[in-house]
This record gives sequence, structure tokens and C-alpha cells, in this order.
Amino acid sequence: MNRKVLLAGLVLAGALVFILFAGLGRDPQAIDSPLVGRTAPPFTLREVGTGRAVSLDQLRGRPVVLNFWATWCGPCFEEHPTLVAAARATPNAQFIGVVFQDSEAKIQQFLDERGRAYPTVIDDAGKTAIAYGVGGVPETFFLDATGTIVAKHNGPLTSEVLEAYLSKAAQ
Amino acid sequence: MNATAGRLLILASLLVSTAGALVAFAAGRSRSAYGLKWAQRFAYLFAALMVGATAVMEYALVTHDFSVSYVAQVGSRSTPLWVTMASLWSSLEGSLLFWGCVLGLYVAVATWLTRNAYEEYMPDAIGVWLACAAFFSFLLAGPANPFVLVPAQLDGPGPNPLLQNHLLMVVHPPFLYLGYVGMTIPFGLACAALIKGKLGPSILKPLRESLMLPWVFLTFAIMLGGWWAYEVLGWGGYWAWDPVENASLLPWLTATAALHSIIVVERRRVLKGWTVTLILATFLLVILGTFMTRSGVFNSVHSFTQSPIGPTILAFLAALLVFSIGLLAMRIDRLEVEGNFESAVSREGMMLFNNLLLVVLTFTVLVGTVFPLVVEAIRGRQMSVGRPYFDTMVVPAAALLVFLIGVGPALPWGKTSWKQIRRAVLPPLIGAMVFLMAGFLFGARNPWTLLTIAFGGYAAQVTLWQMRSPFAQVQRSPRRIAAYLVHAGVVIVMIAIAISSTMRYTQEVHVVKGGTATVGAWTITLAGIEQRDEPNRSATVARFVVAKNGVTKTILEPRMNQYERMREPIGTPDVYSTIGGDFYLSVMNIDPAEQSAAVNVIITPLVGWIWGAVILMGLGGLMALVPAFRFAFAGAPRAAALTLARSDGV
Amino acid sequence: MILSALLFVLATTTAAPDASIFVGPPQARPVAGAALDAQTQEVASLLRCPVCQGLSIADSPSEMAVNMKHQVRELIARGYSRQQILDYFERSYGQFVLLKPKFQGVNALVWLLPIFVVALGAALVVGKVKKLERLPEKQESASAAADPYLERVRNLVGEKP
Repeated sequence: MNRKVLLAGLVLAGALVFILFAGLGRDPQAIDSPLVGRTAPPFTLREVGTGRAVSLDQLRGRPVVLNFWATWCGPCFEEHPTLVAAARATPNAQFIGVVFQDSEAKIQQFLDERGRAYPTVIDDAGKTAIAYGVGGVPETFFLDATGTIVAKHNGPLTSEVLEAYLSKAAQ
Repeated sequence: MNATAGRLLILASLLVSTAGALVAFAAGRSRSAYGLKWAQRFAYLFAALMVGATAVMEYALVTHDFSVSYVAQVGSRSTPLWVTMASLWSSLEGSLLFWGCVLGLYVAVATWLTRNAYEEYMPDAIGVWLACAAFFSFLLAGPANPFVLVPAQLDGPGPNPLLQNHLLMVVHPPFLYLGYVGMTIPFGLACAALIKGKLGPSILKPLRESLMLPWVFLTFAIMLGGWWAYEVLGWGGYWAWDPVENASLLPWLTATAALHSIIVVERRRVLKGWTVTLILATFLLVILGTFMTRSGVFNSVHSFTQSPIGPTILAFLAALLVFSIGLLAMRIDRLEVEGNFESAVSREGMMLFNNLLLVVLTFTVLVGTVFPLVVEAIRGRQMSVGRPYFDTMVVPAAALLVFLIGVGPALPWGKTSWKQIRRAVLPPLIGAMVFLMAGFLFGARNPWTLLTIAFGGYAAQVTLWQMRSPFAQVQRSPRRIAAYLVHAGVVIVMIAIAISSTMRYTQEVHVVKGGTATVGAWTITLAGIEQRDEPNRSATVARFVVAKNGVTKTILEPRMNQYERMREPIGTPDVYSTIGGDFYLSVMNIDPAEQSAAVNVIITPLVGWIWGAVILMGLGGLMALVPAFRFAFAGAPRAAALTLARSDGV
Repeated sequence: MILSALLFVLATTTAAPDASIFVGPPQARPVAGAALDAQTQEVASLLRCPVCQGLSIADSPSEMAVNMKHQVRELIARGYSRQQILDYFERSYGQFVLLKPKFQGVNALVWLLPIFVVALGAALVVGKVKKLERLPEKQESASAAADPYLERVRNLVGEKP
């Protein structure tokens, strides 16, 4: 029995298997945002349809839900009704849709077909998305009344999850 | 009907492989010739059952039997026949079935070729092969069963569009499996040698040859994967240090190291334990690679999406690790050192150095690949280890390896006087200077590129010099020429990689119909934009007339393919290849309304040389096997002795 | 409703968040022309495209990557240093976005482990060679010597090159 080989082998193999085991069930797409707990980056963007400017600074004093989405994204279709319903049910919170990498005509059509309950702004060249660290859409940020990001959600929202985040932002 | 037949065949193969493994190990303990005969029969039967199950699946695919779960998952009436047939390996369950089929064929052929020889080792080797076979049968019988009976539908969604998008995607996986699965054979032989506590001269030949064949396939597979990425993914590169690419490279590196250390075992009868360790590591890395591709833990273009079989493969990997490490620890000291080293400055010394570099490379690539998992496990945050890291770490070792391809073969075996060493090592500096100047004139300025070119020149001169002599003397072994063909291929590949990755030029241009854009000496004119409907997809094609220095060279049609199953179109680039380099057009955006297109123009020198030179490497590897085929049928100890004696000429 | 009305300010210009809120004013000089192209390419090759599989934003043809590359270019043109730009992206995406791991904390291991293995491996190889060099060559043991055929063939072929 060569103890050196046994020991070195088992240590290396154990470490490798442990790391791989810890990685099981991990979603390689889900990325935590370093922005949680920080002040949301301010922006002023144009509203789709009206052309009016919407500024984040104006919304201090109540919770904000920032939803990044696009018409070419499948899960965004799924989550749209949830967001619309929640926005109608929660007048206290301000919802904003931020669309990037998309055309205004397509967004208009999407909203006409599927309903609108809150302003949707267009993020030209995706700069706001970059500042928020958005990768794949949909991604949603929850801001409290002071403008601090309290949570970020990757992927489509369900109404329960959305509710939980909203109560967190309302505190 | 098909589902039931397939399921029965899988269950039978699970039974046969388990029973066969037990019989084989028992025969190994009792040294029973009768037991060995039965083990061989079980091996053939396993192969027949796996081939049968695969045939049933192919039949179900071709006849669109949507009551078979796998067909319902990947089949479609609108896909062309070749895509339907290839969809066997387009998704998880089918690809494992294909794995089982390839494993069956390998085990059967290996059993047959060794049926009258190596009686001492074969029972345990067959036992290990069939134990691996039992694991894959178990996967197919339970966690990844492709033959579940489902309510039949009229049509299915078709395979992953990426598979349909390019022919190379159809060719690449079979080569990868032939490479991966084939490593089971040397693994079994090495385990048998350890179980017997002996690595005698007779077993070296089957060990080397059973390692060489999958090595050739894996070499082709890695190249085909890179070529596919280049032709399809649209970024103009062929290697992104993606986890799954790394997974295919890892066993290749250790197998390459083992192929060299076996030669040292043959010549000097040292490094036995080390060689066996490398062969065991190769197979373990194959299983690790399988885990990486199929567990959903790693994010990659090539990986199958989230699948439940990750834990099962991980358990198998852990069991194999414990088995291999235990076996090594118990028996490594019994593998006797019969020879010695006369001098470190010798061919065998350089092979040892080559092994060190290859193992360090393996370790570095492995660490870089799994490190994000380590950080996430202990720090709970995501991080990346990407191309800049791998380039920094790998390039120096790779350049040194090219240098060793020169210095190693230049030095003779054993002890030599310093005068002889000088005489062997100094002349190739001429080759290095010539290549360096040529590279400089070609425009290379990156120091690592120039260093690789110089080392390549050194190695090229040595390789050509060594290849010249065997033709003059009839007695020399083809294995020797084969080895130098592989070396020549490696030198060309490395220079082509160094140049193509550091001297690439890219530019984004936007062109309207009839308009032109100029990039360097090249001019592209957008002739038009067309909509094409094909049975399984629709395409928006931008037709570009490509001219160089005002002379029209070709028409390129980069396109956006829209598959029904996919929301987003897949951009497919188009390439004009010449001996000096490639002119590559990748569409970023096509606007049929405006009749305009935004394209990325990528000019890469020498990229085609990589594919060509890898083919040279593979052919060299196959040539090394030629005597094996010649003597395979004789089977007698005399043939083994002859081959061994010939191989000593290397 | 009053709150909703407040939402729309009478601004005529739109503005995305500026890099200065994360990393302060530019610390290098504004860059233009060919140098801008080269520096953009260099910095972009260090940043990971978040929607791709391990590709840098310099390599990826995806729209996300193109947007990010334009952002990098703009920041370089305005005089942001390479480190500032990397910091900016790290602030929004985390270390995930850096393809070249920082040499700090646990991350340092990814750089140090291979170097450690080179040293260890070199020491082992040197030790092994020294040991083997001291060994006398044992005469052909067991099977090899026992095979007269092998010996004859070896003599025929000419053992030593």
C-alpha cells in the first residue's frame, strides 16, 4: 500500500467531487446583482407612445418596480399579465417597464394587444440595462421609497413572488 | 412496439454486462480459461444487444414512431432524412444510447483482437469494460431511458436547430464519442495490469494501440468542434475555452502524455506506474467531461440542458476515482522498475519533460474550468475564468511543447557525449531563424507568436530530418514516420493558431443594397437580400459580391436562419477560404425593408491550416496503427515479439 | 393620479445612468482614431458577454455584446481609464463580467495553483530522474528475456539506433 498515493489521490478526488456536488442544481445563468443594497442608478428615458421623459429621480418616496423586458423574449409574454395585474392592484407602487434592443413599433403593438397599466420607456443602445447589469431579459429590480435597490429577480415573475418582493420594497 | 423492444434490449444488456463483469472478475481470480471464454461471450452479447437497441431507435426515428419518448422529443416529419438519422445523438437520452452502441462495438472488437493472447490480463480487462458497460446500461434502463412509451402524437418538434444548421454538427459528436468511449479500452487494460501488479512488455502493444485509436478520434473531434464553432457561431473564432471544449481537451492532453510515456516504458522499462496513472486519469477525465456536458452545472453552447442524470454520473465518477486511487495505491509499488535513466539530457528525459508540461496544462485547464464552482461554493458569488486567463497560462507551456517537439527527437536515447548533443541540438537553430524571419516578414509582431514560430521552425527542421532517413532505410518502422507526421501536424497547428489568433482583423460595416464597403484590400458589395423558404426553416440571405484589390473573388451569403421552434433567428456566417487566410462575413442584422445589412467582416490569416494539419495528425496516428492491423490476425506471441522489436526502432 | 402626473417631467433630453456615478470622473485622456479602436478591442476582450457562453464582448456578435462594446468605446473616448471601465462593469454585473480573474482573495488561487503545480512537478521529475540515474540497469527480467524470438528479432533489426 502506497500511502502517499492514496492520501494525495483521495484529497484531490475528494475536493473535485465535493466542488462538483456543490455545483449540482446550480443555474449557471442566474447571476447575483452587486447593486442590491445600493442606490439605483438614475435615468431619464422616453416613454413609448407619448414620447414624454420619465425620470427615476421623480419617483422617490414610494416603491418602484423596474422591469427590463423586450418583445422578442418568450418569458416576457408570460409575465406581462402578472405585472399588469399587480400594477393595477398596487397603486402605491410605481411600475416602469424598460425595453431595450427593440423597436418602438413592436413595443406599441405588444402593449396594444396585451394591455398597459404603467409607463414603458425605451432604453436606446441598452445603456440603462448595462448600468443595471442586465443580461438576459426579463429581469426585475425592486426599489424602496429611498431609491435603494432591495431585490433583483431573474426570469419571469409569478404573482406570489412579485407580492413578496413588493412587501419587501414597501418596508 | 419499438419502445417495448428497445426497453427489453436495454434491460437484457444491463443483465448481460453485469453478469459478464462478475464472471470476468471471477475468472481473473481463479485464472480459469473457461471463465474467460464465458466473459468473452458476454462481451460479444452485450455488443449485439446495444447495437440492436440502437437499430431499434434508428428505425423508430426514421419511421416517425412518436410513441417512443425520444422520437417524440426530437423527431419531426419536416426534417430531412439525414437530420432525422443524426438526431440519435442530438439529445441526452439518444446520445447515451449511441454511447452504449459505440462502447459495445469497442468492447467486442477489443475482445476479439485479444481472444488468443494476454490471457493473464484479459479477464480483469473485460471485467472492467463490462462494469463500465453495466453503468451505461443502467443509465439507459433508468435515469435516461429513451424508450419510454408515450401517447403517440402526429408530429414532433424536431431536433435542436443547431444540429440542423450545419453538417459539421452532425459529424462532430460521433467522433467525440468514438474518442471518449474508446478510452474505456486502455482503462480496462491498465486496471488489469494493476490488478495483476505487473506491466509486462507484451501488454504494452495493446495498451498503446487501444490508446492511439481513440486519441485519433478525439483529435479529429476537437478539431471538428472548433471548425463547427468557426463556421456556425459567427464570432470568427474556433476556441473560446468554453467548459465543454475544455472537457474534450483534458483527456486528450493526458492521453498524449501517456502515448509518450509508453514509449519510455518500452525502451527503458521505467515510468510504468506513471504511465498507468496517466491512462487511468484519461478515462476519469472522460467521465468528468461527460458530467460537465450533461449535468447542467456548466454553461456552454455544447451542453445538454438541465438534466437529472448529473448526480448519477457524479456518483459513477466518485466510484471510479475511489477504485482507481485504491488500485494505484495498492499496486503501484509492485510495477517493478527494471531499467534506469542514463542521462536526463536524452530523448527519454525530454519525454519526461513533455509529460510534465502536458500534466501541468491539464491541471491548469481543469482548475480554470472548475474554479468558478469553487468560488461559488465557498464565497457564494459568481465569477468567470475566461480566455484572457487561459491564454496567459497556456501559451507559454504550449510554446515550450513545440520546442520539445524539436529538441526531444533531436537528442538520441540514453547517454551521449556533450559534443554529440551539441551536434544534434545546434543545427536546427537555422530552421528556427528561417521561420522567425518568415514570420516577421508575414507581419507577426506579437512576441509569443514570434517565439512559437521560431520554436516551430526548430521543430520543423528536426522533424523533416528525422523523416528523411526512414525513407532511405527500408528497415525502419512505419511507427516512426507516423510519429513524425503527427509532430509535423502539431507544429503547423501551433503556428497557425499563434498567427490566426493574434493577427485577426475585424470591422463592422453597414451596407445598403448596391452599396459597397472597403476593409483593407477587400471590397464587399451588397447585391441583394432574399427570403428563402426551406422545409425545416426559412432564411433571410444577404448576397455579397466579394472583391480583393478590385478583382471579384466570390459571392458570400451570410444568412439568418429562422427555425419554427426558435423565437430568435440563428445567424450563420459565410466564409471565403484561401491558403493564406479566410475572409469571413457574419451578419449582425438584416433589414429586408430597408434592403440593408450590418455585417462583421473578419479577416483571419492561416486559419484553414489548422483543419488541414489536424487531419495530418490524425492520419499519422492511424499510420502508427498499421502494423497493429497487420499482426492483429496472427495473435501469436511471435507477432507480438516482432511488433515490439519493430517498435523499438522508434 | 397626482403622483403619476409627477412622473412625467418636462425634460427634452433623455439620459442613461452615467459611468461617473460609479467610478467618478475620467482619469485618463480622451482617445480618438485608430488608438480608440485598438483600446476598445483590448478592453472589450476582457469583459464577458452576459448572454453568451463564455465569449467576450469583443468576440460575441450578439446585440447585448455590441451595445456593451459601444459603451466601452464611448467611455474610452471620454477619457476613462481601462481600470475605471472594468470597475464600472464590475459594479453593475459583479465579478462575473471579468474574464480575467482579479488577483485578490480566493481568486488568487486560480493563478497560484498552476504555478505551485509546475514547481511541485518539476521537483518530482528532477527527483525521479536523479533516482533513476543512480539505478543500475537490471538485466531483462522474466518474460522479455524468456522470449528467444524477441532477442533474435532485436538483434536482426539492430537494437540501438
